[in-house]
Amino acid sequence: MKRVLVVQLARLGDLIQTKRLLLSVALADADGDACEVHLLTDASLSSLARLLFPGVECHGLCAHGPASPGGADDPAALARVFANRTVFAELSGLDFARVYLLNHSGLARAVSTLFSPETVRGHFQVSGQPQKDPWPALAFRFAAARREAGLNLADYWAAFAPRMVAPDLVNPLAAPKGGGLGVVLAGREARRSLPPEILAPLAAAAVSRHAVRRIALLGTAAQAPAARAFRRQLHPSLAGQVADLTGKTDMAGLVREISGLDALFTPDTGAMHLAAHLGTPVTAFFLSSAWCHETGPYGEGHTVWQAATPCAPCLESAPCGQGMACLTLFADPAMVRLAAGSGKAAPPAGMVGFRTETDALGVVCRSFAGEDPTAGARAAFRAFVAEHLGVMPGGRPGGPALGDRFYLETDWMLDRFSRLGGNPQKMETT
Amino acid sequence: MSDRALTRILVVLPMYGGSLPVGRYCAKALAGLGHLVEVFEAPDFFGAFSALKNLRVTAQRLDYLEHAFLQTVSQAILAKVETFEPDLVLAMAQAPVSRQALKRLRRDGVATAMWFVEDHQVFTYWQAFAPYYDFFAVIQKEPFVSRLAQAGVENVLYLPMAADPDIHRPLDLTPAERRLYGSDLSFVGAGYPNRRMAFRELFGFDLKIWGSDWDGEVILAPRIQLGGRRVSTEESVKIFGATKVNLNLHSGLDPAVLAPPGDFVNPRTFELAMCGAFQLVSGRELLPEVFAPGEVAVFTDINGLKEAAAHYLAHPEERAAMAARARTRALADHTYGARMQTLLDFVAARRPGFGKGVRREAGMADLPAGLRAELAGLLGELGLPGDAGFADVVTAVRSRQGRLTELETAILFLDEWRKQYGGR
Repeated sequence: MKRVLVVQLARLGDLIQTKRLLLSVALADADGDACEVHLLTDASLSSLARLLFPGVECHGLCAHGPASPGGADDPAALARVFANRTVFAELSGLDFARVYLLNHSGLARAVSTLFSPETVRGHFQVSGQPQKDPWPALAFRFAAARREAGLNLADYWAAFAPRMVAPDLVNPLAAPKGGGLGVVLAGREARRSLPPEILAPLAAAAVSRHAVRRIALLGTAAQAPAARAFRRQLHPSLAGQVADLTGKTDMAGLVREISGLDALFTPDTGAMHLAAHLGTPVTAFFLSSAWCHETGPYGEGHTVWQAATPCAPCLESAPCGQGMACLTLFADPAMVRLAAGSGKAAPPAGMVGFRTETDALGVVCRSFAGEDPTAGARAAFRAFVAEHLGVMPGGRPGGPALGDRFYLETDWMLDRFSRLGGNPQKMETT
Repeated sequence: MSDRALTRILVVLPMYGGSLPVGRYCAKALAGLGHLVEVFEAPDFFGAFSALKNLRVTAQRLDYLEHAFLQTVSQAILAKVETFEPDLVLAMAQAPVSRQALKRLRRDGVATAMWFVEDHQVFTYWQAFAPYYDFFAVIQKEPFVSRLAQAGVENVLYLPMAADPDIHRPLDLTPAERRLYGSDLSFVGAGYPNRRMAFRELFGFDLKIWGSDWDGEVILAPRIQLGGRRVSTEESVKIFGATKVNLNLHSGLDPAVLAPPGDFVNPRTFELAMCGAFQLVSGRELLPEVFAPGEVAVFTDINGLKEAAAHYLAHPEERAAMAARARTRALADHTYGARMQTLLDFVAARRPGFGKGVRREAGMADLPAGLRAELAGLLGELGLPGDAGFADVVTAVRSRQGRLTELETAILFLDEWRKQYGGR
């Protein structure tokens, strides 16, 4: 059986967003042969990966950084990283027919050197020269037009495969499970999260709307103070329904908890992607650098409130010069009414409500509240990408302007059907 | 193994020409001296450059395209410098480094050197480029040295040619090879006018002529071997070893002067000596500095050539003794390793701190003991000396072709991990 390896060295959210690619590479190839799919992740995520992706052979290595600043020079940490050698030896002996390296990082490129240059796709290096395939090279250009672009990261990675599995087969249809409302207090980036004083009224409104009797607070031990602040914001009758699980769940526990919820309130986090994977309805809050058209929950039936201020999405690394205007929108009283399910309330200007659906290309966010300022541009963009990837049966092709904007001479002159998995220099035009 | 990083040298080859093999010998010698060497393979660009000449466009447009192409190649060299961070860029004559690129390297504090293994009176373009190099090594003395000083070149080094003892060495030839490559007299080289005239005088000898550019030569046609094609280095070493008397007539464009006066000593002199082959070499001003009278036999005119050839053919023991002395001298003084050491000593004496730079990635002492031990075992395989630093090992591994071993991949991964998470 042909073996395929997917290398995903990033964090939890990225791991889950690799799902469509994993399903796609497992599809039988053109000869009807099934593939044995292997996945390489950071060791901290490999047991979760086994849980999430049964049937995939999961390997773990030490890739993530040290817990303490400056720990990159700690001899013990260096010894752990060097011990990856045994994993490399194991992978080197597995004779992979194809290796997909998803991360634009030196770490992924270093891993690529284990394999024959003909087998690697994505981000790799050959004879010391970092390279990327035409598809990631094109997608990197999309980053210069994030506001008008709209391609979910899971679909971007899925397109590394020669054929993509249908997007509606990736995750279950979202449906309540009876376990109450889960609230993720914060993501890795504080600027992309709502503070307790804004989050708590929204959660309280949702509780009344869904008539749930339990609020589970999710997060790390470091978020326990935020959990206490959240509880203080609630009416005493609701505060009694709170189960503070911050710092009390391991990965498997988190999976169990989220799989039983009626809904999950969350910023753009790994827990959000986990909920989508499990078919738990998500209500997500996207602001600052988070853009739901890139990293929104995958599958049908989720809700996203996207702050679409003119400055959004911003750069995570750049300081905000707008007084965090995107955050202010979530404190608008109308947002509480909307969270409670009011059909009459309108979101504040700059806020857009989206529901997730799927189309031929992948997951798509369609607005149901507020004015979506980039809807037209995104539709044209998606048509352009769908045509590029050959997944637009019956769809409309994009206009020539996008081709002129995104295609370069190197695409035109050097890339010949590389997305089909062949050697661009040897493939002939049919 | 210490933290000290090796001296890094980028050797820039020309796209083609006589300096090309010399550049490769230099790169090999520098690595043999324990330095970390990368080579800019300009010959790889020559195919694309040649294609421009087949365009059939206006001469003006071709000029523009060739200039633009060479600027791109220069940019590639600058990019290589940016990544490899060499202590020295060593260019050979005709290396495609533009003046603009040389200015940039000077501004960025990267030392540049040129080994100009050409005759400055024939190849006069040095005037435009020499001032942009920090160090300029030449195979001639006066008046070239003074002229360079007038042009503003401060650091001029006389650095005669040499030979590579791994390439140019005595061989055990089979009887068949001795028959094919052997003769009383032979000459390997191009058919310059003075050589054509001189060799016509040797009709009484068993003479074989090897090499190219002998077209149109009627009188010598029966002596020309292999249809006048260029002979490889390997073939020439066999010819040297199989020949009783190797003729080494320096080239000249004037057919009336059979043994042209001149100063520099050609590479063939050193190669024949290194091979332990007997040679009759045309006299040069600078020859006595590199080989003593008992080490090579010298002639200055055609009669002297004929007399010496007859004499040494009749005295094989003299040939053998002289060839042995020449090889001993060549091994002692005239290897490319010795030349490169002289060049580096010259640079170090004039550039404070040369080769002492500590790089961001260096830091062997921080590595786990087990890893240091593993790296030590890898050094020999990578052709690195025992005092290589971690950054040097990473650079050497990165330049390897094809699939790497798990140890090599683990080294690259560790290096990237340290970079990503803020290690030194």
